Amino acid sequence: MTPIGGLVKGVTRMPRDNDSAWLLHPHRRGLQNLDRMRRYSEREEVDIVIVGAGAGGLTLAQRLARAGWRIVILEKGPFWDPDRDWVSDEAGSHGIYWTDKRIIGGSDPIEMGKNNSGVGVGGSMTHFAGYVPRLHPSDFEVRTRDGVAVDWPISYQELRASFERVERELPVSGQDWPWGDPHTYSHSPHPISAAAGVAWRGAEDCGIEMRVGPVAITNGAFGNRPHCIYRGFCLQGCKVNAKASPLITHLPDAIEHGAEVRADAMALRVEIDESSGPCTGVTYVQAGREHFQPAAAVAVCGYAIETPRLLLSSTSRRFPNGLANNEDQVGRYVMVQGATQVAARFPIDLRMYKAPPPEVSSEQFYETDESRGFARGFSIQTVSPLPIGWAEQVQAEGHWGADLREYMRDYNHWTVLGVLCELMPRPENRVTLADEKDQYGQPVARFDYSLCENDHRNIAFATAKMREIWEHAGAQDTLQIDRYAHLVGGARMGFSPEDSVVDRNHVAWGVPNLLIADGSVLPTEGAANPALVIMALADRLAGLLREKRIDSSAGARRRATVGAG
Amino acid sequence: MGVDFTSAEHLPKVRAGGEAADPAELPRQRRGITPQMHGRYPDYDVLEQARHWDDATRKVVLGRVEQVPEIRFFSPREAASLKELCDLLTAQDAEPRIPVLNYVDEKYLRGRLDGFQFADMPDDRDTWRAVARGLDEQAHSRAEAPSFAAAPPEVRLAIVSDFAGGRLEGGAWSELNVKRAFSVVMRAVLESFYSHPWAWNEIGFGGPAYPRGYSRFGSPHLQGAEREPWEGVEAYDEDPVSQDREAPPS
Repeated sequence: MTPIGGLVKGVTRMPRDNDSAWLLHPHRRGLQNLDRMRRYSEREEVDIVIVGAGAGGLTLAQRLARAGWRIVILEKGPFWDPDRDWVSDEAGSHGIYWTDKRIIGGSDPIEMGKNNSGVGVGGSMTHFAGYVPRLHPSDFEVRTRDGVAVDWPISYQELRASFERVERELPVSGQDWPWGDPHTYSHSPHPISAAAGVAWRGAEDCGIEMRVGPVAITNGAFGNRPHCIYRGFCLQGCKVNAKASPLITHLPDAIEHGAEVRADAMALRVEIDESSGPCTGVTYVQAGREHFQPAAAVAVCGYAIETPRLLLSSTSRRFPNGLANNEDQVGRYVMVQGATQVAARFPIDLRMYKAPPPEVSSEQFYETDESRGFARGFSIQTVSPLPIGWAEQVQAEGHWGADLREYMRDYNHWTVLGVLCELMPRPENRVTLADEKDQYGQPVARFDYSLCENDHRNIAFATAKMREIWEHAGAQDTLQIDRYAHLVGGARMGFSPEDSVVDRNHVAWGVPNLLIADGSVLPTEGAANPALVIMALADRLAGLLREKRIDSSAGARRRATVGAG
Repeated sequence: MGVDFTSAEHLPKVRAGGEAADPAELPRQRRGITPQMHGRYPDYDVLEQARHWDDATRKVVLGRVEQVPEIRFFSPREAASLKELCDLLTAQDAEPRIPVLNYVDEKYLRGRLDGFQFADMPDDRDTWRAVARGLDEQAHSRAEAPSFAAAPPEVRLAIVSDFAGGRLEGGAWSELNVKRAFSVVMRAVLESFYSHPWAWNEIGFGGPAYPRGYSRFGSPHLQGAEREPWEGVEAYDEDPVSQDREAPPS
């Protein structure tokens, strides 16, 4: 990054190869170029079918559409129009979460739904808080450095340019970042609220450095996207177009370059050619009718639960246990982050419902420190629950009735910190198919999750750090909720078919034209929110495909040749 | 009358004995409605701001207040016991009450599940029905009452307390992991109660804020958040009417 790049902020640094921000309407939300969206016939083979219109799928689509690929994107949920479909209301936002049933088991079952699963065009980023930290260089080699989990088959350096490109497109607002690979952001940090200010002062007092951001929320106009209005409903879908999601950051440009999105279309099976092995397209159901879209390549981008579920449901003679699952790797190593929150009470009113929930964060404890008694680390971030979220925080300590009402009435005096603890990938933390069927006749996913000793120690240490911050800030009372955030893994990238589902270039072992490009490919998760790395991985994959270093699109049924990459 | 909210002495964990202060010590709500008219923000009515909300949000939030759904998912017998349960869980001991069970009923009638089911639990809808049966069984075995709703108040409170603590067994409870059943119930109860504007009045929440947004959210250099002119003021000792606030709309 040049010195000028670090000094000049805002609209002077628009992305060069993505016009999405200009394709939006300055006053209306929703996409304005849908009437021009290309429609492909089910009788013609397209270059690629992408399953899942989220962070991975839409970033990949935008890049490949620019390169002239003929693309159909299948999305289970609706095509959102934020003006019409989204509301400034917690309960009223039920529809933006994936709320079809999933069975949760293990010793530490993970709550799904609004906690970690989106649905509809834009994916889970429509309701993510907005934090977009990078992974650290160390995340790619934790086996070598720390003797835990696995190394990635790619390095930080191979992903660095992708991080930078995506950060400029979102765009990211934040202070210069001192941790990991130090870097700057293209937009200035947002002002912070009184609620975040209290956390900042407490952290400072006990020697913990915080920084403002990094958040994918406009600070100043960006193309036709306006400045954030600080209304606090980031987790309910941004009606302002200020917070980034691929619905507004990548899809408008993808459509302009010929990509088609089929919404309300649930993929049932990736089909293969039983005689020769490659996949031939995707069978899906739309409006109660089954369809088949032929394609030269298929990219599965359904995230950590739905990607394994689709592969496991796609059985054939060649893959009797599910597509690309002959080594029993599909669905394994699913990870969440330990996301305990500690709330603190102060004499002054703080009104944490104002300003975006993500404000300031620290990665001071991100790396391994052997004196702490566990490997890897955690980050600390502000979170600002709205009333229903606040009620869940109060209830977590067992309060109900009059006690609960009293803590609820005290809402405006409270502020909340959360951590993201890096938890270890474990083969038994996996997605399988349950006996129960959903409305499409597909088996429901079952997700079992159990913590290991390193995880317990990490979470306990991180929680104590939050309590230390609040003590130094002068908190009068605290409330704690033990919870988990985010989902990654389930179809990880690795070095061989025995240890992973895809290779370093996202190609499924044994199925040369099947790609996986979402959070499920992450071998480890770091202590960073996953949105940015998912987009960055899709950007890197698109680059490899455009340079024909993975040749999975060149002609029907042709066996792809994987380049040196 | 008044409470000094710079102190935390009213909070259950701070008070000796660990119980909440009596909300009757708060002023009565003077403007708009709060559940039981507890007035921590006695002159704040979030519904007065509805004209500043976007159409989609206004329709959803006002619909919640003005068109209370009828109970159709639960049977009359289930509903009688569950309504009592919901009121105890939210300490609603007098009118006006937020009709929590009506919203819970509508949620399940429309199949609006939350996206997960514990492996050792039935479907959330079946959990609620089992809880209704289990409450009636407890009322019968403890007080020979025909139903939970008909049991004496102290028996009802003791049953709910045991439910919250996971201490119920036998009968319908043997179909459930009781602690998880309590979390399933509370999830729907809290969503229903704290999505209601009357509850927002009680806690001083600003409510929907689009397209207006917020321009005053404090800074680390200020002692406390700046307040939008329309946001509520806590019931300190001073008379809030004399404080700086927006004139009421005509």
